[in-house]
Amino acid sequence: MDAAVLTCRDLTRSFGALKAVDGVSFSVAPGETYGLLGPNGAGKTTIISMIAGLLEPDGGEIQVAGRVMTPSAKDAKAAVGLVPQDLAIYPDLTGRENLEFFARLYGIDRDARRNRIGEVLAVTGLTDRANDRSSTYSGGMKRRLNIGIGLLHRPLLLILDEPTVGVDPQSRNAIMSAIEILADDGISVLYTTHYMEEAERLCDRIGIIDQGRVVAEGSRRQLIAMVGENDLVRLSVSSDALRAAKACRDVPGVESADVDDGVVVCLMENAAERLAAMLAAVTSAGVSITGVNVREPDLEDLFLHVTGKALRE
Amino acid sequence: MIRSALIILAKDLRLRSRDRSVLLFAFVIPLALTGVFTLILPSDDDFLLTVAIVDEDGGAIAEAFTNGVVPALVNEGFVDASYVDSADTARRMLDDDEVSAAWIVPEGFSHAVMAATPTKFIVLHNPDRVLSTEVARGVAEDFVAEVRRVGVAVATTAAASGGTLDQRQLDAVTARAANTAGLLMVGAVDTEVRQLDATSYLGAGMAVFFLFFTVTFGITGLLEERDQRTLPRLLAAPIGISAVHLGKAIGAFVIGMASMTVLAVGNRVLLGVDWGPPLGVAVLITAGVLCALGVMALVGSYAKTAEQANNLQSIVALVFGLSGGVFFPVGATGWMASLSLFSPHGWFLRGLGDQVGSGSWTGVLPATGALLAGALVAGLLGALRLRKAAA
Repeated sequence: MDAAVLTCRDLTRSFGALKAVDGVSFSVAPGETYGLLGPNGAGKTTIISMIAGLLEPDGGEIQVAGRVMTPSAKDAKAAVGLVPQDLAIYPDLTGRENLEFFARLYGIDRDARRNRIGEVLAVTGLTDRANDRSSTYSGGMKRRLNIGIGLLHRPLLLILDEPTVGVDPQSRNAIMSAIEILADDGISVLYTTHYMEEAERLCDRIGIIDQGRVVAEGSRRQLIAMVGENDLVRLSVSSDALRAAKACRDVPGVESADVDDGVVVCLMENAAERLAAMLAAVTSAGVSITGVNVREPDLEDLFLHVTGKALRE
Repeated sequence: MIRSALIILAKDLRLRSRDRSVLLFAFVIPLALTGVFTLILPSDDDFLLTVAIVDEDGGAIAEAFTNGVVPALVNEGFVDASYVDSADTARRMLDDDEVSAAWIVPEGFSHAVMAATPTKFIVLHNPDRVLSTEVARGVAEDFVAEVRRVGVAVATTAAASGGTLDQRQLDAVTARAANTAGLLMVGAVDTEVRQLDATSYLGAGMAVFFLFFTVTFGITGLLEERDQRTLPRLLAAPIGISAVHLGKAIGAFVIGMASMTVLAVGNRVLLGVDWGPPLGVAVLITAGVLCALGVMALVGSYAKTAEQANNLQSIVALVFGLSGGVFFPVGATGWMASLSLFSPHGWFLRGLGDQVGSGSWTGVLPATGALLAGALVAGLLGALRLRKAAA
């Protein structure tokens, strides 16, 4: 992975007694979209902050395009475009002025600046409103401007920290489409999210992160394979879900049975043949079944599988 | 670093030019307040203290007041004195509003002073005439303070000469009491500040008072960047944190200098103030802006948000302003005068007064030195704290 745009090796970072990042290693290849998927508080933003040069790691090393990243590493920073989770724009400047300011800060010369700002305005769909103060923009437009600033200097690595938080479904879809276009153009993207469907749609590879550690990593197919070639059965029960889960585990072919929000979630081989036996076992345990759902597992199920808890917790 | 700092500066100035509160604090309000206060407050030329004087003592110290101090004040055009024979007459004149105050030197006053024993100097006043009351009381307090020193001198001299005073020593002590007239002529108003007329003093006071609010718009810029979430984006760019600090500091300096320059010119053109030679004014303004920058950077370093910084800085600006005498002269002596030595505002006003008094721009140099020393100390402490916070 020598040609990786981003390489993180054994990163650690603590805040007082809290170990926010604990030995995280991963890499992002040129043109790859890599997702960090985990619940709020898992350590995603801390990892992003270290990669963007905002925080010094307590241990480990970050290399961006072969350059070691530290808060004072200007050459490494020049290779990164950061789109923070919060809107990082000046509301009293117009969209064009916001872009102009950051383009100058990144040292883009005058002629290239004018062209590049025009391109970014076009990509983000803000050309018509470029000369309006960004305080007058809709939430989605502000988000697009926020992303546009990160793209201005054609970074080798674009970091997007939960860019769709607080965005309406329509704008969210537009943002994800824009990111897909960028990925198609060959830019490397590091994307953090706690929305499973975003990670599944956008990312070539995904790192599942929990409590500051990468607990699983791979393509969607590889990650789902970790759950096994099993079916996922969700049993809604009227009473004691824990007793129902215990009864399920005793059924041959059931690999795991956990309780998620009062629902029993089972991984089992060949549900078509074994489901009747499992339902009988639950009923025999004195628990009434109110609903049954059988499907293939997804990343949310993987998260539950490897951490024992739901992604949204 | 300079290039990045200038880019940040240009952005900040563009933002500030769109912020009406900056324009109001930096340019409009100080000038408007000076104009309004000039209209509603009596000027030095308008003020005349009408006072009745009663000498029930007839001694040497009392005569030093009635024949030395009071005539000097009358000659200054500051006092209209009526010598009357009794306290009752003085009270009647007060009741009839013929005078606004009365000074009564009671019987035995001079003897008590010579014997260094406790005594009284009586001030009667009309409660409806607040300004006259304060001035009459101020003159009396200054006289009594000098008399107290005379009393101590008497006691010391008497002790040294075996408990008695010869005529030569007595004459010397009396003469010293009489010389209080020199102090009292300006006793109600600070010695140096007296060199500025009322409008010039008020204009300078308002300008330096609002300067400390104006520079905060630059100083708190870093906290504002943090509050509006743009700081991470700035720090992720290939520039150092020092460039951000420098850009903010230059921004505050530019806004402060622009404000003071406009106010100096505006006060001169619109209100006719006289702050003395322009070179001295420029030097003092530069030192004042630097001091405001340093002080407010230090204060701002104790805040976690821009709002918190604004609150802290407002309190400090108000305390320094009041103790420095921006709204009223603090006097040449007494605890307020001592307190004003710790106020940049006090030094700024003192510097202008010195310049006008001396007629040369070099008159501002002592105050400039004090302001620059304050700027250096506060600025270094503030920079160290900000650097530590950034790390």
